[in-house]
Amino acid sequence: MDYPDRSIDRGQAAIYASDMLSRVLTIGEELLCSGAEISRVEDTISRICHAYGAERTEVLAITSSIVVTMYASPYGSVTQTRRIHESAYDLYRLELLNQLSRDICKNPPQELSVIDERLDEIAHAKHYSFWQLVGFYAVIAGPFTLLFGGTWQDAVAASIIGVALKPLQLLLTRIQANAFLKAVICSIFGGVAAGLFVRSGFAQNVDLIAIGDIMILIPGIALTNSLRDMFSGDTISGLLRFSEAVLLAVTIAFGFALSARWL
Amino acid sequence: MTWILQLVWAFFGSMGFAGIFNVRGKKLITGSLGGLIAWGVYLLARHWIGSDPICYLIATIVLTVYSETLARFTHTPAILFTISGAIPLIPGGSLYKTMSFAVNSNWDAFFTQGITTLLLAVAIAGGILLTMSIWQVVSNIVRLLHGRKKRS
Repeated sequence: MDYPDRSIDRGQAAIYASDMLSRVLTIGEELLCSGAEISRVEDTISRICHAYGAERTEVLAITSSIVVTMYASPYGSVTQTRRIHESAYDLYRLELLNQLSRDICKNPPQELSVIDERLDEIAHAKHYSFWQLVGFYAVIAGPFTLLFGGTWQDAVAASIIGVALKPLQLLLTRIQANAFLKAVICSIFGGVAAGLFVRSGFAQNVDLIAIGDIMILIPGIALTNSLRDMFSGDTISGLLRFSEAVLLAVTIAFGFALSARWL
Repeated sequence: MTWILQLVWAFFGSMGFAGIFNVRGKKLITGSLGGLIAWGVYLLARHWIGSDPICYLIATIVLTVYSETLARFTHTPAILFTISGAIPLIPGGSLYKTMSFAVNSNWDAFFTQGITTLLLAVAIAGGILLTMSIWQVVSNIVRLLHGRKKRS
């Protein structure tokens, strides 16, 4: 795309460029927070910058930060960074953001407020309701217990614990417990509840009930994706996610082991 | 019969996770179908080959081809389908076992189980990445050939 007006001076051009870049970074940030791969974040940012007439774009994204420098002769180079704090998979938002960046690349809007409106829409995109999520927790725990060879009673017990885990997690988020404290409390609760179900004679296998609920808590996907990042050359991000996943897994195992010792 | 039941459980397990990850509408079903396919391929491969990491690799290759094809038709990132489909294969249980050995300071078992977990995760990650790269190269070649035909 050509620069809006070639006659405007360098200062104005730089202001426009930095406004534009901050929107692009927001798109990148949202992508990273929705669980996009590092390569997708970097690729999207540099494509949009090029669509807006940047001659060179240097992007470095890692799990916790994005740095972009773009250069074009009307304004020289502009650099911005963004610190990323938390990310959780939200694949619907990812889909919308992908659509937005496709649209921008096809036809970059001159008025940046157009991008703001779209971003605002995405921020308020639909989510499953609390009760639907509770249902999904039950749907994870029961089938996984059965998949690993549990009985019907085990699966029912696992689903009931899964249903209870969701409000517990929500409560812990409300009181702003950090990820590790959350993992410890949830896993202790899961372990104790599984033990109680077996003691009461309703279910048979503590470990199989636990495994259904562990699937909800354990960062298996984070572990796999961290390796994928490393394979595709994003070693730093891969290592960050890998150590995060391993630490969380230790915490969860610790919680379950602790509750097993109590019972 | 147990196989069919297992496929049903794999389907629902994937659906639960796809739901948590906010996959919506028809994609919730097609994404979970990926889980069913992956687990089905894994069961078949285990029947004939036996070695777990290789079975996981084959299952993820098939899953990624399924995801990339769907992504092409629906104009959505393939990651949407690969993540929900890989759920039944994800070594969550194995990862937990590894760490529980560490917590109980059973170090020999910890190392054996740890390497198994890592191998499984490598197999999944490698399978996805390998297939995606090959897919990319093949579609580049197709585009190149197609472009040449148009020009001539």
